[in-house]
Amino acid sequence: MLGRVLKEKLFLAAVFILAFLTVLPLFHIVFSITARGLPVLYKGGVEFLTGTLPPPGDGLGGIAPAIIGTFVLVFLTSIVGLPVALLTGIYAAEYPNSLIGRAVKVLLQIMVEFPTILVGLFIMQVLVIPMGSYSALAGAFALAIIMMPYVAVYTEEALREIPFTYREAAFSLGLSRFKVVFMVLVRIAKKGILTGVLIGMAKVAGETAPLLFTAGGANRVYFAGIDKPVGAIPLLIYNLVQQPYENYHEIAWGAAFILMLVFLAIFIPIRLSLKEVKL
Amino acid sequence: MSAIETIDLNIYYGSNHVIKNFNLEIPENVVFAIMGPSGCGKSTLLRSFNRLLELNENARVEGDIRLYGESIYKMNPIEVRKRIGMVFQMPNPFPHMSIYDNVALGVKMNKLVESREELDERVEWALKKAALWDEVKDRLDENPSALSGGQQQRLVIARALAMKPKVLLMDEPTANLDPLATEKIEDLIYELKREYTIVIVTHSPAQAARVSDYVAFLYLGRLIEVGKTEDMFERPEEELTENYLTGRIG
Repeated sequence: MLGRVLKEKLFLAAVFILAFLTVLPLFHIVFSITARGLPVLYKGGVEFLTGTLPPPGDGLGGIAPAIIGTFVLVFLTSIVGLPVALLTGIYAAEYPNSLIGRAVKVLLQIMVEFPTILVGLFIMQVLVIPMGSYSALAGAFALAIIMMPYVAVYTEEALREIPFTYREAAFSLGLSRFKVVFMVLVRIAKKGILTGVLIGMAKVAGETAPLLFTAGGANRVYFAGIDKPVGAIPLLIYNLVQQPYENYHEIAWGAAFILMLVFLAIFIPIRLSLKEVKL
Repeated sequence: MSAIETIDLNIYYGSNHVIKNFNLEIPENVVFAIMGPSGCGKSTLLRSFNRLLELNENARVEGDIRLYGESIYKMNPIEVRKRIGMVFQMPNPFPHMSIYDNVALGVKMNKLVESREELDERVEWALKKAALWDEVKDRLDENPSALSGGQQQRLVIARALAMKPKVLLMDEPTANLDPLATEKIEDLIYELKREYTIVIVTHSPAQAARVSDYVAFLYLGRLIEVGKTEDMFERPEEELTENYLTGRIG
């Protein structure tokens, strides 16, 4: 009897400790980036957000080209990727047993796990080389390939979770399939779909590998056009930490802090402000 | 003329034969109960009347169903569903819409009214018909989740009535309600039968006896007996029916 109680206590303690160890790195990352990045931001002032990269060994300057580049890339990626991804998710949910519907679901699962560096190589082949230059557009297409499966899978799951009775009710009112899907089901699933969209955006805002061979990077020009190379915060961090200069390392920490803020700014609304549809 | 008539109706799910050769006539402006134990095919039969069964890819229908003499299989399913409203077992107002929009949706989407004023009138009319207007008239913009289960069920009755159908299908509409809410729905059914033909599925013989004028008894996919409710409850012709009504099976 006592043995059983003790075993249960031990088991609970083990689960608690393991759970704590699992999330510990997250806290450590947030803490160390804040501890080392925030002072850089403080020291650099507003110029850190508005300026451009300084020469080696000459102060902090600013990372504006990378910040602008990240926003441009997320925006372009959304324009390219979201419509296709949403329709794909809706299609897979509406026709789950069709050949295309089943194929799409399997392919999406593969795409989610696909090595992102290969996506970058692919876009380099089909866009960068023919266009003769790195560009924001090429970066956005590479990121769109990474974003689409997330958004499509979330959309499909959100729609599939809706109890069948709502679908029946909508059809029983003499609505066409199109109206059932777009006037009723998609709106009931709104929260789940928006979560997918935001997770997709947060994901691509933090990607580095697919941009290496596509976006090219820009550190001293704010924004030259979607057909020209563009910077991105993760790309900047990747480049700066490989340099031997002390000030570049500091800038990288500051940029890491900004990237974390951008990421959290996209993520926190998912948890807080989206109005839940009560079923 | 019958409101609904089935002719040699057979329904299969894959190789499973769930409705076996039904010839059924449902007269106009009555409450027609379809009763039987779970799994006898009641809900399937009901869903064949408004072609909602077609949402299930495995379902296959043979024979014919006529709505006021016209084959529903020669009509557009949307047209069929405009003329046959439906209420479900679980109260299922659309959770993302206001009370008003729930009632207005079908009317608006099918362009049954010309103006905003007409739509307002139609919503009020339907909510009054469903005996819900007094309880919700001051909170039409609220979410239906604020309503009780019984109120939600009357809301979806209003949603169906707003389309001005001829026939109203009800699939165990009180199965999830408490006795008081059930009584309200049953009173409402009694009121509505003057203008509508109501087909109600129930697994409760007592409810069939309380609300219906005619009753069909189904058992394992067969139509065992059909007739006036009083006659069947007083003098069932089949032994199976008697066994069901007296609680020996079911």
